[in-house]
Amino acid sequence: MAETSETQRGSGNPSSEVMIENNTLRFDSSDDEAPEEVNFEDSKRSALQSVKDALEAGRREKKTLKEKRRRKQEFFLEQKKRRLLPEDVLEEIDATPIRHDAIPCSAENEVEKGKAMDLSDLKPIKEQARSLQANCSVTTVKHQITASTHQKEAMDFVQSRFYGQGTRRATNNELLSLNNKKGVNKGAAFQFANTKLSTVEREKAEKSNKRWLHKKKLIST
Amino acid sequence: MVFSDKPKKGTIRRIMGEFKVHRVRFFDYMPSGIRAIAFNRQTERIAVGRVDGSVEIFTLLYNLFQEKVIPGKEQRSIEALCWVGERLFSVGLSGEIIEFDLHNLRPRYTIDAYGGPIWTITANPQGTHLAVGCEDGTVKLFEVLEDKIQFERNLDRKKGRILSLSWHPSGTKIVAGMMDMIRVFDVKTGHAIHRLLVDKAAGAPRDQECVVWSVVYLANDTVISGDSSGKVKVWDALTGTLIKNHDVTKWDVLALSLSQDETSLVAGTSEGTVVQFQFLSSVLGKEDKEWVRTRTFKNHTHDVRALAEVDTAIISGGLDTQLVVRPLLEKHDIKSQASALRKVQFPHRRLVSCAKKAQLLLFQYPSHLEVWRLGEGEEEGTPGEKVPVRRIPEKLLQLKAKGDEHICCSAVSPCGEWLVYSTTSSLRLYKLQYENNNISITKVSKLPKVLRWAHQLCFSADSSRLFAASGRSSVHMVSLGPEGCKHKHTFKPKNGSTQPIHLLTVSENGLWLATANSDCEVHIYSLSTLKSHCTVPVYRSGVTAMAIHPTKNNLFIAHADQQVFEFSIELEQYTDWSRKVQREGLHFKWLERDTPIMNVTFNPRNPDHIILHDMYMFCVLDQSLPLPDKKSQFFNQLTLKSLPEQERKTHCHAFKVCKLFQPLMCVDVLEDHSLVVVERSLLDIVAKLPAPVKQKKFAT
Repeated sequence: MAETSETQRGSGNPSSEVMIENNTLRFDSSDDEAPEEVNFEDSKRSALQSVKDALEAGRREKKTLKEKRRRKQEFFLEQKKRRLLPEDVLEEIDATPIRHDAIPCSAENEVEKGKAMDLSDLKPIKEQARSLQANCSVTTVKHQITASTHQKEAMDFVQSRFYGQGTRRATNNELLSLNNKKGVNKGAAFQFANTKLSTVEREKAEKSNKRWLHKKKLIST
Repeated sequence: MVFSDKPKKGTIRRIMGEFKVHRVRFFDYMPSGIRAIAFNRQTERIAVGRVDGSVEIFTLLYNLFQEKVIPGKEQRSIEALCWVGERLFSVGLSGEIIEFDLHNLRPRYTIDAYGGPIWTITANPQGTHLAVGCEDGTVKLFEVLEDKIQFERNLDRKKGRILSLSWHPSGTKIVAGMMDMIRVFDVKTGHAIHRLLVDKAAGAPRDQECVVWSVVYLANDTVISGDSSGKVKVWDALTGTLIKNHDVTKWDVLALSLSQDETSLVAGTSEGTVVQFQFLSSVLGKEDKEWVRTRTFKNHTHDVRALAEVDTAIISGGLDTQLVVRPLLEKHDIKSQASALRKVQFPHRRLVSCAKKAQLLLFQYPSHLEVWRLGEGEEEGTPGEKVPVRRIPEKLLQLKAKGDEHICCSAVSPCGEWLVYSTTSSLRLYKLQYENNNISITKVSKLPKVLRWAHQLCFSADSSRLFAASGRSSVHMVSLGPEGCKHKHTFKPKNGSTQPIHLLTVSENGLWLATANSDCEVHIYSLSTLKSHCTVPVYRSGVTAMAIHPTKNNLFIAHADQQVFEFSIELEQYTDWSRKVQREGLHFKWLERDTPIMNVTFNPRNPDHIILHDMYMFCVLDQSLPLPDKKSQFFNQLTLKSLPEQERKTHCHAFKVCKLFQPLMCVDVLEDHSLVVVERSLLDIVAKLPAPVKQKKFAT
């Protein structure tokens, strides 16, 4: 068979010939011969194997995800532990009765943050956690602090709507100048005197005023 | 070229007529902007809330007069005021509802609403409930009880702050103006019935929400809103749709007020204009009425934040600190004092005290006091001439008030050695000592227990006693001496009045004390017998100024409707001169003046002279001259000057008015017979106001 194809084609590209040969060989084999006999046992085995492989792969994936999640959870717990105060300090705080003040959530967060900052100072002195030493002081969060921040935000809102970006506002100087120009007795624009001028500068300004008036022959010297 | 329009600080002494005049322009009085106005129909009074937290009660009867002032506080902000019967409530950005005690002029109690800053408060027409609109988007209902208010419930909470509220006249529905929308709530269930969306302004950036500054709910189920896009929108609240859109201004519409019969609405804008809408039909006689824009009033230069439409007038106030009462001319039949435009620019109380012997002035600011010594000028000069100043006036002392409450009243003794001031919760007395050119101040620590606070303070002429007006129209008298301060007596009125005193005056000889309270009552007490002496017959208008003559011991009283009376204390009746004035009547030019008389003082050289002043003039009233004839010229000082001596005598009349110095805050006479005139320029006040809107005018 191989002989016949080689002799038929003659000389040419050897590699492609080989490839083509192989292909033709296979095709020829599948065309001419009866299909290979595959054992039922073998096929059953391979099918089951592939199913098992798929299941295994699924289980492995789940395992890795579970591992990841477990690791994350541990990490978070550790972080949380780091943020909280040592247990005995917490016990002491719990012992004092809780006052029913309506402190909104933001206040509690601020308190927690403050406590977290102080934690670094407390860690090395675990036995003496009760007496807070060195750079620490515990103060109650006054209700007014949050009220005044709300108040300040509200005032900022009003300020921004009245005088903020996009509001077309002028100065009082312009207002008074417009009144002068449009009024019954028309006058020049308003100019506020600069009271911060020193006496020397003020005298200079007065002298130049007088000179200008004289120049315009408005007053007689 | 620089025009120095601000007057130079200093006293320019002029010699005018027979007086040397100290002209004082260094009192930097700065009023506070008006934030809210509430009208009480039953008592015909308006409550005006200012930006610094103070509340003023004005009466509209018998001329507009500032009856009571509740001083402000540092952290207190007032966003809205509301009357329930005769009780006054206010809310502010501190998140608290305050009820004011109008007899003792202080907050009665405060309740925290726990909703964040509160923007608005309104009472239902039945007077049983209050609704407040909070920053967190809740409308909270409070029940009004006998002596307090109690939280009832919240209506449904919505996202976005509630800036304005209005009840339906039936009390079953509330409309709330929020950011970008208006919601109509059913009060019983608390659920929102409708959501009306408001368009943003045409040129505004996408993330800038439209603020609905004000809403009103009418009985025919119409809602009218004013928002920051400058539009007044008329909505149908039953279907939740927009009926009509009126473009009023390029800036914001900040306030709305509805008349009682719901036919007229006024809208206040950032430009300072007040626009009136009326419910009219376009064709006369037809029934299809709609809201039509009718009049525009421009009485303000800065934003109008507060409006009230009372029956016959429109009252507006804003950031230019002036309270303007614009009567509606169609409601007045005749042109009279009642139909004139009135502006309140200066407070109707004295903020300047004068130490007559020591030549000192005490200026009362909200949070501090200043003591100045007046300058001295050359001795000689001709009338009408400016005298050069030999020693300039100097500020001796600046005393900051303790705590965050504003100062209610203050006084300095005539000898200049004692200084006292009071807030709503504390009274402090100081002793001043002068060594060479230095001044030292020591606080008097052990004060009598009765001196906890005072509405009004006054020293006796010899500086040995201090009088403090306290609650229930009573006056405490304490003696002052090197050993300290001792309580001597408390004077109480016979009729047991509960109103606060706003004027106190003591006679020069130290025998008589006169008080005037908000009920227009004037009581006279004898300081020798320590008993109540008599009561002046009650006149319908409030007392704006009064003083006791040093030699004749007659009490001269000036009222808010410009009437003047003279009451003889010893004889317990009106004097003949006073009866003559009442018989002949005062000249119409005198009665037409629209600012009240703020101070009455006497001329030591001439016992017939009485010196009065209001904001635009001061007048020397000569009791020996005849009263002006109705037809004669009233302001005749300039014409008299031009007449020869003989003719002058025939044309002279009692009221010698001088308008050289204006605007006036105080006119007083010192012991050396010189006059002190304290002026405050309105332009200086305008220069320090916040920024107005930019107006583009043709050819400027």
